[in-house]
Amino acid sequence: MTDFSFDRRAFFDGFRATIPIGLPGVPFGLVLGFLISDAGIDRLAGWSSSWIILAGAAQLAAIELLAEQASAAVVLVTITFVNSRHLLYSAALRQRFAPFPRWFRLVGPYVLLDQAFALANAQPDDLDDRYRMWHYFGSGAFLFGMWQIVVGVGVVVGDVIRPEWQLTFAVPILFGSLMLLSISNHAGVVAAVVGGVVAMLGTALPQGSGILLAIVLGVAAGAAWEGRLAEDPSATEAP
Amino acid sequence: MTLWLTIIGGGIITYLTRASFILAGDQVRLPAAVERGLRYVAPAAFAAIAVPAVFGGDGLDGFGDDVPRITAAIVAGAVIVRSRNVPASLVLGLSTLWLLLILF
Repeated sequence: MTDFSFDRRAFFDGFRATIPIGLPGVPFGLVLGFLISDAGIDRLAGWSSSWIILAGAAQLAAIELLAEQASAAVVLVTITFVNSRHLLYSAALRQRFAPFPRWFRLVGPYVLLDQAFALANAQPDDLDDRYRMWHYFGSGAFLFGMWQIVVGVGVVVGDVIRPEWQLTFAVPILFGSLMLLSISNHAGVVAAVVGGVVAMLGTALPQGSGILLAIVLGVAAGAAWEGRLAEDPSATEAP
Repeated sequence: MTLWLTIIGGGIITYLTRASFILAGDQVRLPAAVERGLRYVAPAAFAAIAVPAVFGGDGLDGFGDDVPRITAAIVAGAVIVRSRNVPASLVLGLSTLWLLLILF
């Protein structure tokens, strides 16, 4: 039985490693908080989406719909599509997290935010399981704590982030950076190009369903590219 | 009350999508081709989030307004490729955007 007791070093390594990729979400969180306070809904319920849903893009979509008095069904379908990428994050981390205790596999997914996935996914295969588990929790702890505070501050102080400052552009820059850092071969480039192009063309699709289509097609294209190389020994690839 | 129930429902859906495969662990077997594809979730997903946002979320409508953001994204991407430094790419990317918006 592997020892999975608290690993302080791993936890704080994960916490620290998440700071530079967590902080770019601060302006977005403040704006989300302002939109919650401005949506004409109960502010406590609106803010509570930060710990109940804990996913910025889905919260934003939900708040915008709630402000327009959309039905609960429309809100839930939208949240399902916008957050469907988590299904793929979960599948991608399945094998690495399989050795962890069952209590982790119940609690850990709660903090599977994009940045926590990016870090866990980028770690080497041969990492110690106990270190990997607590590193992930450190990452999740930072993201969870930061999100509650930032959205809460946004709800209370309101309109402090002026749109003309373009500070929320930190989010696309961050995800563009995470995309580039996650590419390790030509198939990764293919996956990113297909994912990006389909997502852009798919912005017209209803309820944010374009993003799921984009990721699925991107993943399929990456796998097909890799499969093509496996079948054709003359094709070589840079590492 | 409906508001709380809607948010709680959204939380349950989000948790279930995140927990799905992690909770299943070794109890599921995926075809080798699918496992291979899962290595490309990160580049495909992060591109699918970043690219539409750079274009203002409206596809190619109003492309001219997107030019400062596209330029800033290219600068930020160049910094990442050269240095793999996320804070540096944020600072230089946002600075480029501000500079272009001031100049033009």
